Amino acid sequence: MLVPLAALALGACATTDAPEREMGAARAMVSQARPVAAQNAPQELAQAQQKLARAEAAMQRGHHEHARILAEQAEADAKLAWTVAENVRVQRSAAEAQDGTRALREEIERNAQ
Amino acid sequence: MRFNPKLTVLASLIASACAVSPQATQQLEEARAAYRTAAADPAVQASAPAELKSAQDALQDAERMAQKGEPSELVEHNAYLAEQRARIALRTADIRRSEASIAAAAEERRRLQVEAREREAAAAREQARQAELQAQQAEMARKEAEARAAQLEHARIENEKQTTAQAELGAELKRLESELADMRAKQTDRGWILTLKNELLFDAGGATLKPGAQRALDNLAQFLTKYPDRDIAIEGFTDSTGTKELNQHLSEKRAWAVKAALVARGIQSTRIDARGYGPSFPVASNGTPTGRQLNRRVEIVIDPS
Repeated sequence: MLVPLAALALGACATTDAPEREMGAARAMVSQARPVAAQNAPQELAQAQQKLARAEAAMQRGHHEHARILAEQAEADAKLAWTVAENVRVQRSAAEAQDGTRALREEIERNAQ
Repeated sequence: MRFNPKLTVLASLIASACAVSPQATQQLEEARAAYRTAAADPAVQASAPAELKSAQDALQDAERMAQKGEPSELVEHNAYLAEQRARIALRTADIRRSEASIAAAAEERRRLQVEAREREAAAAREQARQAELQAQQAEMARKEAEARAAQLEHARIENEKQTTAQAELGAELKRLESELADMRAKQTDRGWILTLKNELLFDAGGATLKPGAQRALDNLAQFLTKYPDRDIAIEGFTDSTGTKELNQHLSEKRAWAVKAALVARGIQSTRIDARGYGPSFPVASNGTPTGRQLNRRVEIVIDPS
């Protein structure tokens, strides 16, 4: 009874192909997020990097299904990290743009007087 | 050790395949909530539709797997992806909003600059117009001042001429006066007036000029010839002896006779206005013979202009 069950559980790992595509996507997304997210979304970036590292380790051990899951999550986490950081950056730019507009308006009003 | 650890792991694996684990259930609920929030946001629908769709796909996978009793690990994994993608969709919408506000600010700055340039151009045009106006006004004022100065100068010259002419006229008349005993020249408000006594010109009661009057008339005609611009009025007066009508008639006839004599000496009749006033405007009392003699007179009024 125990042996076929164990074989089934292990077989699930053994029959799955290495998730190269998912790993590649996760690595690329983490690389893209790192420069912006390091400062503006460090927590989200750390989570993505941690999951990618675990995915790499799972790959090493041949746990392909586990690696696939971790890689997909790492990609999603990295994309969220990038989005959060990008949002901070863009909000700052928007505030600067509005300050610039206000300064220009004030300058024009001063000149008009 | 009552239980084989391997057995425990396997049992849990089997259980997870049959019923969704509490962690997976919780993750699924969180994913549903996150997806609802994102899907309900019109900004997400409008500006992050791809991100929202991928969250929806992952959530649907998770729901389907949960229903089919597939491993909780996979349900939880897809639910996790759905939750993260829903967050990504929300943030993406925020990014698009900020980008739009940056573009709007840039557009606003461009508009402000265009407006400012237009205002400056309008101000410059207005300044130029004002300067032009001021220049025109200054030119007008200058011309007016010039005209006024010219007028004043003209008036001064005219006045000088007139003064000189009046002085010459006065001198001439004084000369006439000195030549004729019975003539007086006098300057009045009406201009120069020559007064000739009747005795010089006429016999008593008559209006025919005496031969002795010829010299006076010659002198007068010469004077008028010398001053062709001056018109004269010949006014005859009597004393109050006799009827008023008779005196009026007599004074008129005498004035006309003097005029006729001057016209005969070549003076234009249009220059001479002859009138009789009878005993009106006496210059002395009619109560004495001397006074009456003074009142009987012919006055030659010389037009002052």
